[in-house]
Amino acid sequence: MDTETLIRSLAADVKPVSRHAIGLRIGIGMVAGGLISLVLVGRVLGFRPDLDLAMHGYSFWMKWAYTASLAVGAVAASLRLARPDTPRLRWLWLLVIPMVLVAIIGVFEMKQVPASDWLAMWLGRSWRVCTWLVLLLSMPIFIGLLWSYRKLAPTRLRAAGAAAGLAAGAFAATLYCLHCPEVSAIFVLTWYTLGIGLAAAFGALVGPRLMRW
Amino acid sequence: MRASEDQLRNWMIGGLNGNAGDHSALLGALVPMLQAFYRRRMRDSAEDVEDLVQETLIAVHTRRATYDTERPFGVWLFAIARYKMIDHFRRRRQTCQIEDVEHILIAEGFEDASIARMDVERLLDTLPAKQADAIRDTRLDGLSIAEAADSAGIGESDVKVSVHRGLKALAARVRGER
Repeated sequence: MDTETLIRSLAADVKPVSRHAIGLRIGIGMVAGGLISLVLVGRVLGFRPDLDLAMHGYSFWMKWAYTASLAVGAVAASLRLARPDTPRLRWLWLLVIPMVLVAIIGVFEMKQVPASDWLAMWLGRSWRVCTWLVLLLSMPIFIGLLWSYRKLAPTRLRAAGAAAGLAAGAFAATLYCLHCPEVSAIFVLTWYTLGIGLAAAFGALVGPRLMRW
Repeated sequence: MRASEDQLRNWMIGGLNGNAGDHSALLGALVPMLQAFYRRRMRDSAEDVEDLVQETLIAVHTRRATYDTERPFGVWLFAIARYKMIDHFRRRRQTCQIEDVEHILIAEGFEDASIARMDVERLLDTLPAKQADAIRDTRLDGLSIAEAADSAGIGESDVKVSVHRGLKALAARVRGER
């Protein structure tokens, strides 16, 4: 096809584009994937029976604040990486702040109990599965984000993949909180972070292949 | 004639608002720009360049939502064009030959380099001929002191002194100009 004809056919289909199109598209991908993960948490894992009670305690909110702040940061990075001319992402270092805060809470909690309990506090009852469940639950959300990116224009595919993986992992961990009964900060800092980090690493690994356009 | 950044941006914004006339004017104006962009950076055939231009036009059309109207249009456009070029090389599993790399590097830095070169020449013109020649030979053209001395028919220490005095004078002039 010659270029003139191409331009004519492209110009025949010019729908107005909303200024918030990127946010909308990434939002739809996140929410659609998140709904699937939520159903998995509710149906397969089961919500924790004491959810009502837990929501009055601080550790539930500590966990949510941690995972949600990582998710917000990762979504903000994904929004930027969706454009071909990505501005700097140095501010991503700010994501260390929630980690440091949770670490401080962890140290504080450890001071409250005898040292012989530290191992039990760190491993909880579910350290073997927690990381993997977070990684598993992140997959529907990651796929949702891949769908979002299909109409967007990332040029740094590895970074975009990592950001999408991080967003998916952190959002999955937020949903996993509805099931997970663990309460200690060092548990969250270790096993949640590991699951979220694996999701980000997975995204970085497959991003260059799956996000090409 | 090339459309200005402002003109392109206005067309782009018109297209984003659903104005088909603006959009087709934009795509039309991009064709020569993209042709020049790819031709300068690739040794591929004319058809390959035309394919890339078309692919880029399609990307500009289908992914136009990713343009942030607050930011310069050219940066957005060439980020897409560069991505498409790299993707093209990758698809071909083509590693650039070393001459091509040089070619691309020259094309990338061409404008900056030529502006810098013009500034240097303008400054050198203000020096005595002997000092200017000594600096040009040893610092710009990469001759050794001995070669520069030979070509100017003067002693090596004379070359060194000329370079030293010339650079000092230039430095003083640059500081004075600011």
